[in-house]
Amino acid sequence: MKTIIVACGSGVATSQTVASKVDKLCKERKIPAKVMAVDIKSLEQNIRIADVYISIAPSYKDYGIPTISGIPFLTGVGMEETMDQLEEILKK
Amino acid sequence: MKEVINYILDLGPAVFLPLIMIIVGLIVRMKFSTAFSSALTLGVAFLGMSVVIDFMFDAIGPASEAFVNNTGLQLNILDLGWPPNAAIAWAWPYAFFMFPIQIVINLLMLGFNKTNCLNLDLWNVWNKIFTAVIVSGITNSLAMGFIVASIEVVLELKNADLTQKQIQRMTGIPGIALPHSMALTAVVLAPINRLLDFIPGLKNVEIDAESLKEKLGIFGENHVMGFIIGIFIALFAKYDLKSTLTLAVQAATALTLFPMVATLFMKALAPISDAAGEFMKKRFPGKEIYIGLDWPFLAGQPEVWVTCILLVPVILLMAVILPGNGVLPFGGILNICFAATALIVCNKNLVRMLILGVIATPLYLYVGTAFAPHITNLARQVGTIDIPANQMITWNGMEAPEFRYVFSRAANIINGDYFGLVLLAGYIALYIWYFKHMKAREAEAAKDLGLS
Repeated sequence: MKTIIVACGSGVATSQTVASKVDKLCKERKIPAKVMAVDIKSLEQNIRIADVYISIAPSYKDYGIPTISGIPFLTGVGMEETMDQLEEILKK
Repeated sequence: MKEVINYILDLGPAVFLPLIMIIVGLIVRMKFSTAFSSALTLGVAFLGMSVVIDFMFDAIGPASEAFVNNTGLQLNILDLGWPPNAAIAWAWPYAFFMFPIQIVINLLMLGFNKTNCLNLDLWNVWNKIFTAVIVSGITNSLAMGFIVASIEVVLELKNADLTQKQIQRMTGIPGIALPHSMALTAVVLAPINRLLDFIPGLKNVEIDAESLKEKLGIFGENHVMGFIIGIFIALFAKYDLKSTLTLAVQAATALTLFPMVATLFMKALAPISDAAGEFMKKRFPGKEIYIGLDWPFLAGQPEVWVTCILLVPVILLMAVILPGNGVLPFGGILNICFAATALIVCNKNLVRMLILGVIATPLYLYVGTAFAPHITNLARQVGTIDIPANQMITWNGMEAPEFRYVFSRAANIINGDYFGLVLLAGYIALYIWYFKHMKAREAEAAKDLGLS
């Protein structure tokens, strides 16, 4: 099972919102995946166990794993397309 | 009826919060099983927070007492940071009324073209609850609490409009805005930032914030920061090595567990905020709007973290030397509310952010001191949180301290506090300047983005 990681400023509110939405969408599409919300300040520790990083905070850093934007899951704009993208990555 | 309500309130928030939550859940048409699970999670969140706060006071309470005795500094107000304060705000019996108030104001303002922001950040409804709690605590008037909280809703939406393009230019994300009330502090920071324009050379200082963040990043992690503050307190408390290290790990534990428990609040409230968000989105299809989100989309900007971390020694030093300060900084030592706001005001200029940080730190400490009795009172009233008799609690680095202070004093006019009106007049004058200033900056940002 692949691990998806979502990070926000405290690992509490925004990342949790995105994580539960992604989790729901994964279940709907029958994609087996574990979604974790973490504190961006501890991202370096957590990213080692992740296969995909959903980023809410655009950053210049490359973490060496596929990264997709989490904003569509918050606004609802372009959410399906982003989910297709995520599914594609997880199938690999 | 009154007896029934009192009986329910007497059950304590860990019991009555789930009861309210089930009712609210059924109103927004949740399945009973989902509503029950969410409701119970809310009770667990509240009790969980109480457990961690008790643990923290057991560990840090005696140390901070020794700190006061050894230094003679009256720092008997412990800064808990935001998670325990969020717990206290949610435990306020009228908390849930803030949802419809925020939603209705937002929809009305959109309908009358008074804002372009649809605020889907319903987690931070608690900021307004917290304001209402403080104001009604100070004025003894529930109505005043809700009035000031409603003004906060209006101002934060206006502020989202006044910063949207500048934020888009910075983050590269279109279609979103920041209605978080933390950014209201820009009203006082922007004029100071403007004054810094007159200092020659400040404009061209370039610092590589990303590489600084790489070096300093570890200090931003909750447990590491808790450990350091624990050692700081233990040193002043004159603890021996064993007690010092124990306290440091205990402090690290508290700061790690606070946000973990706070996540439970989010989990419990998510179905409600989802339902409310869908309700709002359905009412505004097709219109040109920005979606208001919580601040973390700014968290990728390294300047935010470098500022937070470099301000830690400043906050500790000021807490010790500022006359009249009673706050012992702890849980709120990383002042995100300031740093994220300064990021926008200074347009990522790190040197300016740090200068503003030094200037603004007393504001946060003094407002933290002024509100401590009210926050402590409420925490004691809602019960289950045991605060030692000679201790108070507060939150250093709360969002919009200037707004909350000015408007709580102004609202206190009903008790004959006329000084509040002077403050209010000053605030309005500043706001008018700020409004024009930000309009000009938005126009400039729009030009940079090729939008105008």
